[in-house]
Amino acid sequence: MSSMESWDVIVIGAGPAGLAAALAAHGAGARVCIVEREVRPGGILKQCIHDGFGLVRFEQKLSGPEYAWHDIRAVRDAGIQLYTDTFLLQLEREEGFVLTLQNKERAVFQLKARALVAATGCRERTSRQVFIYGQRPAGVYTAGTVQRLINIQGYLPGRRCVILGSGDIGLIMARRLTLEGAEVVGVYEIKAEPSGLSRNIVQCLEDYNIPLHLAQTVTAVHGSERVEGVSICRVGPDLRPIPGTEEYIPCDTLILSVGLIPENDILRPLGVELDRRTGGPRVDQRLHSNVPGLFSCGNALHVNDLVDYVSESGETAGKAAAEFALGGRKTPQRVPLLARGNIQYVVPQYLDLEHNAPAVIYFRGECTLSRVEMHLLSGEKVLMRRRYAVIRPPEMERVVLNPAELTESNEIIISLGG
Amino acid sequence: MTGVRAVHKALNKLGLAGIEVSSRHQAVVLEGEVESWDQYVAAGYAAAGKGFRGVVNDIQVNGLQGDTPYLPPDRDNSLEGEDFDAVIIGGGVVGCAVARELTRWNLRIALVEKEDDVAKQASSRNNGMIHPGLAPSRGTKKLDYNLRGNEMYSQAAAELGFELKRCGSLVLLEKPWYRLFQPAIKAWATKKGVPGIESISRQSVQQREPRVTSRQQGALFLPSTGVVAPYKVTMAYAENAVENGAQVFLNTAVLGFDMDRDRIRGVITNRGVLQSGVVINAAGVWADRVAAYAHDRFFTIHGRKGTIAILDKNTSSLQKYVLGMPQLVSKTHSKGGGVNPTVEGNLLMGPNAVEVPHREDWGTTPQDMEYLVQRLMGLNTSLKRGDIITYFAGVRACTFEEDFIIQPSDSVQNLVHAAGIQSPGLASAPAIAQDVAQMAVNILQRRREVKPNPTFRPQRRVVPDLSRLSFSERAELIRKNPAYGRIVCRCEVISEGEIVDAINGPVPATNLDAIKRRVRAGMGRCQGGFCTPSLVEIVARETGLKPQEVCKGRPGSNLLAAETKAPGREANV
Repeated sequence: MSSMESWDVIVIGAGPAGLAAALAAHGAGARVCIVEREVRPGGILKQCIHDGFGLVRFEQKLSGPEYAWHDIRAVRDAGIQLYTDTFLLQLEREEGFVLTLQNKERAVFQLKARALVAATGCRERTSRQVFIYGQRPAGVYTAGTVQRLINIQGYLPGRRCVILGSGDIGLIMARRLTLEGAEVVGVYEIKAEPSGLSRNIVQCLEDYNIPLHLAQTVTAVHGSERVEGVSICRVGPDLRPIPGTEEYIPCDTLILSVGLIPENDILRPLGVELDRRTGGPRVDQRLHSNVPGLFSCGNALHVNDLVDYVSESGETAGKAAAEFALGGRKTPQRVPLLARGNIQYVVPQYLDLEHNAPAVIYFRGECTLSRVEMHLLSGEKVLMRRRYAVIRPPEMERVVLNPAELTESNEIIISLGG
Repeated sequence: MTGVRAVHKALNKLGLAGIEVSSRHQAVVLEGEVESWDQYVAAGYAAAGKGFRGVVNDIQVNGLQGDTPYLPPDRDNSLEGEDFDAVIIGGGVVGCAVARELTRWNLRIALVEKEDDVAKQASSRNNGMIHPGLAPSRGTKKLDYNLRGNEMYSQAAAELGFELKRCGSLVLLEKPWYRLFQPAIKAWATKKGVPGIESISRQSVQQREPRVTSRQQGALFLPSTGVVAPYKVTMAYAENAVENGAQVFLNTAVLGFDMDRDRIRGVITNRGVLQSGVVINAAGVWADRVAAYAHDRFFTIHGRKGTIAILDKNTSSLQKYVLGMPQLVSKTHSKGGGVNPTVEGNLLMGPNAVEVPHREDWGTTPQDMEYLVQRLMGLNTSLKRGDIITYFAGVRACTFEEDFIIQPSDSVQNLVHAAGIQSPGLASAPAIAQDVAQMAVNILQRRREVKPNPTFRPQRRVVPDLSRLSFSERAELIRKNPAYGRIVCRCEVISEGEIVDAINGPVPATNLDAIKRRVRAGMGRCQGGFCTPSLVEIVARETGLKPQEVCKGRPGSNLLAAETKAPGREANV
């Protein structure tokens, strides 16, 4: 571990965000490498064999592996160093960042970087994190695990499945399981409206006659060895189960699509400031966190519904990281961008007034709203307003703010109103 | 007042006058019918402490099915006629520790366990606390074994290579007036033999544990309290026993005894009848059933469920000590749980205590979780519901006397009971095992000479645990065996090499829960979401099972229904 390899930018994660970040950093002239814990790059796209990826970025309907291949090939063509099957053991900050890694070939080794892009993606919320009770039999899976078992490993996890949660992966797996010969008894969603994209409700459930039950949830799992059934319950407006509405549904598999959690645990020792609502670092429009030189992108920053925007944020972070590393940076002059009326969250959480390039702003509504207007206010001054026919929480909104609009202020507020 | 009349009187007070009370072999026997499980339990306690050897509670509860143990599905004769000096029934921490202690002698030893692994029931479903001995009363077996066991843990940890963290505990006082009793409690505990107890002020508690609840009014500090991973302790004993020549038979249930008057001649199992010189009853919640097989039923076990929640490792820096705030005046038979550090760096909270009619009822309920969240979580003011990564329940094997039964049988020549082992059973296990092994040897010595085992080695051969190695040690290991270089469980950072070691260990792990119990793969914050698919393939590869034959735990807990594609797919993606 004596002679430490040194890079301008290191990207953690070779999913769509990390690949885009590495390409952008390379394009900006930085010496960049990627570290990836899996054997092959591509992240979760590897197991997303359905289509619909790339409509925004490539104006094409690609499968996940096709979409990933675009950037994997570009990374290879650019000669960017990619450490796969390599696990990050420890991350420290000292004149930049020191990463202690392990893999089969190099055992334990260290890399040094001036700037770091965390493109670590997310993990799935588990049955226990949504407080399902009962025994712990085999046959309770998260949707992403099922996707991997079927699409990559060629295993059918069960024959009669209940899906809890109408997140996109759950909907896609409802269709996938049906195509593989399993029976999907139904999809149950605790909220009064589905959490996945409308197109997935149509293409994955309606087209296959799979019932979607709203305002219902799974409260208990039955069976001691393998799942034998689940208890379903209606919920009130407070999302709490209504006593007396329990129903027993026999099944051998319970699949959960109940949310994703950005994985930023490895960053904690750096003192990174996390946003309680997104689960990701709090960043400015260049996706720069409060830790100088640490950038965040993709689903580790906030959970996206389209990979196209994951790549977009990767590009932003990669380019900014390269500029930081190569010394072209100015001291940021940040003002908070605050989510108010009817806004669930906004990314970025700060705007750097010194940075004069268009700022991409992503936000989600708190609830479904029709005919609303988004306002971006700096004090009394309206920086931007935009009308929406409908705002739905599952669908992320994106606006671009012209830097010329930015003026000296203490805070900027984004809100949705009538 | 003692005797049958006293029991009658106590039952009358409970409105249970219809219960028949009799005395059999110096045990009090209750028969009749009641309306609820609570009444059944209350009747049992009413009969305790009335001068009998034990309470046999045969009361039927209206509308409740009899409770029966899970039995493994296999039936074969693979053990038929096998001859052992000692057969230990039960692979919990006590059974495994007894097996290991017996290997100090030159004996043929078998441990039979009906489950698919050791440490399946209470020995993995507890909070891992090595109690200081504060709770048990003077004159009880619990106190004696707890104090001795606690002390023995340091040596056991060193020899067997498991982690022991003597973090100490703070027994928080809730009511201001409790402080008046602080000196008395301290004197009482010191007299019992609890080492190093300190009485500390509210401010001092606050200094030691800054995130402690503001409700505390001072505390007793008990420096000898420790924490261990209970399943790893059990495993360590089992593995060292096997290394020293004992045999462990999993999925092997005892179905009865072949009795030759007052001697057990054969141990009848689902795998044939084993011959044994001496039999040790370490059957946990089913110890009364095993006693009954030998016509030596003088106690009844009833189950008391406790639920435990595990918190994310991000909470590890939030607390140093075991925290509890027991009710000094309490009608329940539990201290009510607390919030503990663990050796792995999580915090955990629990267990609560609920009397349950089914002894293998490990289901969790919203009510149990509410207790943990409402009553315990606030002991540390920084904890949130969202920190919970998983929860599970265990069932304590309680007698109505609330004491351990550790003795040779009074009526069967070659049977030793280690029964009624509940809290502080884990803390007591090393001492219990020492005594039980000696009792078994004494029985064997009546018939023949028992010699020490000349090759006994108290140190377990510990396989690498990468989390305990420095980076350079880790690197050296990976260079020797690259399988240690690939991380399979991302949350707990467990390598493929460690998983393969677990599968090929002295007590082989052949399913995912068994791997988890040995090396923690799947125990982290994603709860196996990422590593389950890889683990299935590693188990299949190492054991020769088909992927769809790989189980989570017991036979029948298959993880997959089928293979959808022909072989030749690319693995390790």
